[in-house]
Amino acid sequence: MDRQKTTGAMNEADLAQVLSQVRAGDADAWGELYRQYAPAIFRFCRRLLPAREDAEDATTEIFMKVRQKLGTYDSSRPFTAWLYKVASNHCWDTLRRRRIRQDLETGDVDALPLEHPDPGQLERLQNEHTSKEVRTGLAKLPDRARMALVLRYYADMSYDEIADTLGVRRAFVGVLLLRARHQLRDTLSESSASLEAKSGGRRS
Amino acid sequence: MSPSEDPLASHFDEVTGLLYLEGQLDDEHARAVTAHVASCASCSQLLRALQSETVWLRESLTADDEPIPARLVAAPERGTAHWGWIAAFGLCAAGLYTLWNGIVAPAIANMSQAGFSQGNVLNTLLFYGAFWKGWDEMRSLTELLALMTLGGIAIWLLRKQWRRFTPIVFVMGALACALLLPPAAAAADVERGDPNYTLPAGQEVKNDLIVAADWTRIDGDVDGDLIVFSRSLTVNGHVKGDILGFGSEVRVNGPVDGNIRLCSNAVAISSTVAKNVTVWTGALELDEKATIGGSLTMGTGGAELNGKVAGDLTAIAGSLEINGSLGHDALIRSDRLIIGPAAELRGQTKYTGRRQPEVSSGARLGSPIQFAMPRRGPDYSRFDYYLHRVFLWGASFFFGLLILLLAPGFFADTGQAAGRVGPALGFGALFLFATPIAAIIACITIVGLSVGIVGLLLWTIAIYSAQVFVGSWLGEKLLSTGVGVGAAVGRLAIGLAVIRVLTMIPFAGNLIDFVVIIWGIGALVLALHKRMRPQVPAAA
Repeated sequence: MDRQKTTGAMNEADLAQVLSQVRAGDADAWGELYRQYAPAIFRFCRRLLPAREDAEDATTEIFMKVRQKLGTYDSSRPFTAWLYKVASNHCWDTLRRRRIRQDLETGDVDALPLEHPDPGQLERLQNEHTSKEVRTGLAKLPDRARMALVLRYYADMSYDEIADTLGVRRAFVGVLLLRARHQLRDTLSESSASLEAKSGGRRS
Repeated sequence: MSPSEDPLASHFDEVTGLLYLEGQLDDEHARAVTAHVASCASCSQLLRALQSETVWLRESLTADDEPIPARLVAAPERGTAHWGWIAAFGLCAAGLYTLWNGIVAPAIANMSQAGFSQGNVLNTLLFYGAFWKGWDEMRSLTELLALMTLGGIAIWLLRKQWRRFTPIVFVMGALACALLLPPAAAAADVERGDPNYTLPAGQEVKNDLIVAADWTRIDGDVDGDLIVFSRSLTVNGHVKGDILGFGSEVRVNGPVDGNIRLCSNAVAISSTVAKNVTVWTGALELDEKATIGGSLTMGTGGAELNGKVAGDLTAIAGSLEINGSLGHDALIRSDRLIIGPAAELRGQTKYTGRRQPEVSSGARLGSPIQFAMPRRGPDYSRFDYYLHRVFLWGASFFFGLLILLLAPGFFADTGQAAGRVGPALGFGALFLFATPIAAIIACITIVGLSVGIVGLLLWTIAIYSAQVFVGSWLGEKLLSTGVGVGAAVGRLAIGLAVIRVLTMIPFAGNLIDFVVIIWGIGALVLALHKRMRPQVPAAA
């Protein structure tokens, strides 16, 4: 679980110094902090929100929130965790305000197939789809499923943090993640099937 | 292939596998899984598949294909530049307003004097041309609001275009200051009563005079404007500028070269006023000796006009008695109108009231009084009514837009707060009734007069803005999709239109209007409360 993979590297001492400068109102330090983390937050928003414009707006708004709320950040905890928490709360609020969430807040497990997945099929999916296609497939998932995957596998958030952000019980996070994976597998399989059908149709 | 064909009790399901891989199982459970995997090919294959899927997902999601867009390269400045923008906006609006008043309005005035008054669309559209002068306060306010709106939108648009903020502020600020300089050249003397204030006879104040006192008496002369907050004000001296007064009792016995604007319980004028008089008062008495050179505009419980008014008369009154002369037209809305024997009404008189006007036989009328009984409720058959509704919608929409663009976060907060219907209605009702009471108490204790007036003003603004917040919430309920400013503007427009239509329903409309006001004020209060309370740490 290496958060620095997405957020660029700034060692702890540097970060602590920059944060205290920002708190003291240093505009350069704020610029430095922003440069360091804005790309990661932008990509994070880009994966969660449907339109590029939305992601850009959200990034700006998140950093304004960060600047306002920086006083409440507990420096004994990892900064990136806090940053992603602010960002995910913001994105989730934005999505919720759109009210197009299809999935319900129930904890039903019925939607999960009982059988183990076919490892061969999983491997094929992984080989056939580029990361771009995965992200396109991700965009087709219901908001909450997409949130769960991005929070976990992009932002490396803990189950507790995810549960808190999405307002679900912690025990339900695993189910949510797995269901989201299933939905993504289905979406990707469908897209490759339709692609095959198309190219097959052309050939005949 | 599927392990379900061979349903061993010890096979675990996919969720357990995922939780195991992600380190979310308790120790005992995890040990059991580890032990099982060692001996079960199917389950270990499942774990491998899930693990490789995790890696694949992580790589796909973190793959860095997209550079940060140019508009996000610089850190957002609004956190600290917020006040800068407000100042720039204010200066810009003030500058434009000065520009308007200094150049555009005089040009229009010149044109209308030259016979082009029909060309003034705003005039023709919004006001009765004949009562133009009496409404200039109102006109200024409308213009100011319109200009502020335009200024706000322009600044918002420019902000998107030019990321460099500081130079614009300075340029605008300098421009506005330059425009503001001439009117600001005159300074003002500020006097605080201890508790009373008297300007002795023979003394002359060369500047504007601003007084806050318990009892105020102006026996000397004031070269500029006289602005007074006082329980009682008596002016015996000569005021060369305007008189602006707030108080319980105002008496003007000395000549005034400018306008008189008063908000007072009782007003008596017995001198010559060169320009216009605007009063909001319980009782107005215009003495026989009084002469008003311009128009007289008033909202009053009862008025006796024994003096001379050279311009138009616009009156909303409980009862109105005219026993003096009116040089121009009169528009009167009153319960009772008495035209005394010494009255002389040279222009047209339009009177709306419950009773027929009582006209003495000696009164001289330029034309017969046009009398109309007040209509009960709106006249749905008139096109004007609908046009007026559209105007009202437009005004509230612009106002909402202003809030939305200047304080988007706060706007969203109020929308959310409006969703909490119960608390919003409760707080709304409380503040709707408690605020004016508190403000009046503040006004009575003389120290708090300005606080009270500001409070009442804010309260009025809150009442007006209520529809915006409820409208936005309603719009969100009706149009469910879209984020960003465009969608929010759409929601606002639709929501306000729906409210406007609902309030047009006979009888129920008034009730709906009332509920909207309470609800909106409640949302405003809740949102303000949210802003003011200490921030809860985001990382719980």
